[in-house]
Amino acid sequence: MEPLKQYLEQQTRRAFFRRTGLAAGRIALASMMLPGVARSMAQGRSTQPYPTLPGLPHFAPKARRLIYLFMNGAPSQIDLWDHKPALANLFDSDLPDSIRNGQRLTTMTSGQKRFPIAPSIYKFAPHGRCGTLVSELLPHTAQIVDDLAVVRTMYTEAINHDPASTYILTGNQVPGKPSIGAWLSYGLGSDAENLPAFVVMTPRWSAKRDAQALYQRLWGSGFLPSRYQGVALRSAGDPVLFLNNPDGVDPSTRRAMLDGLSAMNQEAFERSGDPEIQTRIAQYEMAFRMQTSIPELTNISSEPKSVLDLYGPEVTQPGTFAASALLARRLVERGTRVVQILHREWDHHGDLPRDLPLQCRDIDQACKGLILDLKQRGLLDDTLVVWGGEFGRTVYCQGELSRTNYGRDHHPRCFTMWMAGAGIKPGTVYGETDDFSYNIVRDPVHIRDLNATILHLMGIDHKRLSFSFQGLDQRLTGIEESKLVKGILS
Amino acid sequence: MHPLLVHLPIGLMVLLALLEWMSRWPRFKQANAGVGVILLVTVPAAVLTALFGWMLSRGGGYDASLLDLHLYTGIATAAICLLGGLFYAVGMKKFYRLSVFTGLLALVVASHYGGSLTHGNGYLTQYLPQPFRGMFGGGSAAKSGVAGAGTVSFNPETTPAFQVAAKPVLDKYCVGCHGPEKSKGELRLDGPEQIAKGGTSGPAVVAGAVVQSLLAKRMHLPSTMDEHMPPDGKPQPTRDEVALLEWWISSGADAGKTVAALKPPQNITDLINKRFGKIEAAPKIALPSLDAIQPLVEKLSADLKIAIRPMSEKDSWLQCNASIAGATFGDEQLGLLAPLQNHIRRLDLGGTKVTDAGLAKVAGMSNLEQLHLEKTAVTDAGLAQLKGLGELEYLNLYGTVVGDAGLEHLKSMPALRRVFLWQTHVTGPAAAAFLEARTDKDQIKTWKDEIEALEAKIRGQQVTVDLGLAVSNTPPADCTVAVNTLCPVSCKPVNPSKTVVHEGKTVAFCCDDCKAQFQKDPKPFLARLAPAADSKVAVNTLCPVSCKPVNPSKTVVHEGKTVAFCCDDCKAQFQKDPKPFLARLAPPAASAKGTPINKTCPFSDKPVNPEKTVECSGKLIGFCCDDCKAKFEKDPTAALAKLGLTGAKP
Repeated sequence: MEPLKQYLEQQTRRAFFRRTGLAAGRIALASMMLPGVARSMAQGRSTQPYPTLPGLPHFAPKARRLIYLFMNGAPSQIDLWDHKPALANLFDSDLPDSIRNGQRLTTMTSGQKRFPIAPSIYKFAPHGRCGTLVSELLPHTAQIVDDLAVVRTMYTEAINHDPASTYILTGNQVPGKPSIGAWLSYGLGSDAENLPAFVVMTPRWSAKRDAQALYQRLWGSGFLPSRYQGVALRSAGDPVLFLNNPDGVDPSTRRAMLDGLSAMNQEAFERSGDPEIQTRIAQYEMAFRMQTSIPELTNISSEPKSVLDLYGPEVTQPGTFAASALLARRLVERGTRVVQILHREWDHHGDLPRDLPLQCRDIDQACKGLILDLKQRGLLDDTLVVWGGEFGRTVYCQGELSRTNYGRDHHPRCFTMWMAGAGIKPGTVYGETDDFSYNIVRDPVHIRDLNATILHLMGIDHKRLSFSFQGLDQRLTGIEESKLVKGILS
Repeated sequence: MHPLLVHLPIGLMVLLALLEWMSRWPRFKQANAGVGVILLVTVPAAVLTALFGWMLSRGGGYDASLLDLHLYTGIATAAICLLGGLFYAVGMKKFYRLSVFTGLLALVVASHYGGSLTHGNGYLTQYLPQPFRGMFGGGSAAKSGVAGAGTVSFNPETTPAFQVAAKPVLDKYCVGCHGPEKSKGELRLDGPEQIAKGGTSGPAVVAGAVVQSLLAKRMHLPSTMDEHMPPDGKPQPTRDEVALLEWWISSGADAGKTVAALKPPQNITDLINKRFGKIEAAPKIALPSLDAIQPLVEKLSADLKIAIRPMSEKDSWLQCNASIAGATFGDEQLGLLAPLQNHIRRLDLGGTKVTDAGLAKVAGMSNLEQLHLEKTAVTDAGLAQLKGLGELEYLNLYGTVVGDAGLEHLKSMPALRRVFLWQTHVTGPAAAAFLEARTDKDQIKTWKDEIEALEAKIRGQQVTVDLGLAVSNTPPADCTVAVNTLCPVSCKPVNPSKTVVHEGKTVAFCCDDCKAQFQKDPKPFLARLAPAADSKVAVNTLCPVSCKPVNPSKTVVHEGKTVAFCCDDCKAQFQKDPKPFLARLAPPAASAKGTPINKTCPFSDKPVNPEKTVECSGKLIGFCCDDCKAKFEKDPTAALAKLGLTGAKP
């Protein structure tokens, strides 16, 4: 027998078994994992890069976009938002046991012999028509309190940065769950054809050099298709690496190469049915379009001076919080669904009076600028802005306490966040903590409740946006009960 | 094992009967030639089946009388089968044939009872159209246990929640195995008492606690687990059905309470209404569903490079974002959206090449609620075309050449609430005039009166218990004149009766809440009470425009009084038009004219507003509002009589 023919026949037989085997496997897989796979396959076929999931939104949304200003490290609520004047007379006295009430401590202070109260050294004053009390550290944010709903009674269970950040941003302390931005872009899709649905920025900070590490999982897609993970723009140099064509490659060559690659990938997808291949094809296409859309996005020369002035002097320096805030506005204008800015180093265990003012200066004017800029453009009507960290800080001092210097440890039992924009009741203060800003007296808001409320404002019933994984209909708010924070909704 | 095996001997026995019957015709004479082999399988299979059936029956959980019938007929069938096999073996063909046909008869009877056991009584007829049911003994739908969603007459005030939320779901998915006829695991789910009683694994529900209730737990387990209920392969309840059932458990798993008594949340109400056919308020305009236009939506999205998405699953609205197409989208492309015009609720044309000509097409989108025209070439003339958009609430025009004339066109739009005019030619006075024209003052006044009336009702409900023990050295607060005219907490004009003595000074507030807040911690508000540095000059300590503490150097002389401001901006605003701020400068009425002799208005019996008074024979009479005051000035007789001042003259 002719060797070549024999070879070909063997190939065919093998190919036959491989194909039939795969096909059978695919059918089995699809039937086991439906609707997940079928749905992602359907999405893979759509012409839009980020289609809306069928059946969504569940109801007409108030907010179409989310800008999440995450203060990584946990800002001190006592020094910024939760004024406790009664503490002034309790300087260096011990925190009553009846207040601490057995609260678990971090290993950083669990060895301390006593827990002396450290009153805030910063002055508070009522601002705006609503009279919300704001610290002198946030003079600009104080000017927009009439647009904010300040929630003083956030709480969580996690007591260290990594689990706490993972908890508030992905709904679970255990890594592996999709972030809120991934859930939103998975459910709602994105209008932006040339930009990612979910963009993350990690601007630089002014206080001490070392800060808590950030993890990609804070904006990751978990078990959702990976195209929904946040795309992080770099804070220095090119915002996206390796986006430009290498030397000597012109756009048409690049295009031809991508077309060829895409055809091969498509073939592989037909064979294996792995939705991640579709993600890969989509990412190549997105990267190609971003070659023009990203330079256009980051070129702020068209912004008038009056607008730049709103954000403060640092807005023209790429990689600052102010510059990121301006980019956030430019992104949502261009249809991006979720923008998250993670500003680091709010973890003031010691030397709080040295570091906290620097951190506040980084963000204060830019927060105001962002709100005012969105407002004058009519964007605040359907953009939701969220500000806050992963937990609060203790009323008692960590380390040496003096009249001018102190530090604060992690405190999960209460902390302050604010929200503004679409569907939010402006000029509101929600919830009340005790005289030590230690326990919640009225209207507690779990971080799950916050996430449920964010989804609600975006038109999603948090109980119904789910993804079948590991035998459970997984959702952002998990399996425990969460309730909407009705008191801050307009 | 029994349910698995049983169909083999059934099939074979039917086959044997068929072959015997066929062999009566000469043409098929040989049909029964090979039955020996078939019998070799049939007889052991029948005997085994009967044996397994008997074993299964000992497991219990079935309706006893039905089970007995099936058991005996089944054993009889197997016995006849065995007998037939023996006859065949010894060559008694006549007896063999007889036993085959009697066996078939016994089989039919036994199988029917078996079917009733597994599928419930009436399984034969439950899905037959009604006219045919009569032929089988007239079993009705209700009797055969089919969930009667949509047919139950439902009234939230009288129907027990169990009947609407739980029973239909349980009947549909559970009662087949956990009912009066068959109760696997000794569990019955056909009534609230039975559910509470539970089965071998314990009670099926824990009232009020979904998470601890086995009934809910079992439904949520992965379907691959044996414990998952209903078992894999059986019909599974939908999400909505699970939600209803869980709501019934979480609301207390009560047998008799009505739907209304349990106050279901909105989503449950929606589900109940959907299932029981309560007609909701008809939508204003009946739109075809989005499914019908989906291909068109997809085609337009791809062709025009725009995003068209549904507003929500509950309606047929679309939101359409053309701004992402930028300069490639113009009037011509806008025209292509015409087939969708009634669906479009939000339209974003920001930064596109759309012009006035395009607005004619927008005018056809009669359901539009939100419209973005920022950074486009639209002009005043174009806006005139939008007048007919009766539902438009939001209009964004920033960065356009629109001017005062354009705004004039918008004045008549009934629903318009938010207009964005940054970087346009619209002037301040025109914007103010627009605001004036679009504010429904009468409506706001009506609502404010309603609020006032409600607050009066709340005051009427307040209970005071006075033990008369408290001795106060400070004079009663309402005897002294408050130092402030604006509430230091809210910056609203004060109510002279809500006062607190703080460091020897009487401080007045607008309401009890502010008073309480001040009493709790006065510090943050003290700045607002501090007299201005040069208090001899200015009459006020708080800026009447911003309510911030004044800067004594920024003053204006107004009607002989010096008024101070916090900044030059506020000063300029006041000089431009002082009217809106004068109320904030007026000293408290009580101290100016004296206290009216009456506490309640002689016309309305509402509390007296100390600013609305009329002097009458040296006495000050107070009223609740200007209307009542005017009434008094017209004809005082009745009111004077009521106040016991018959002789007095105004």
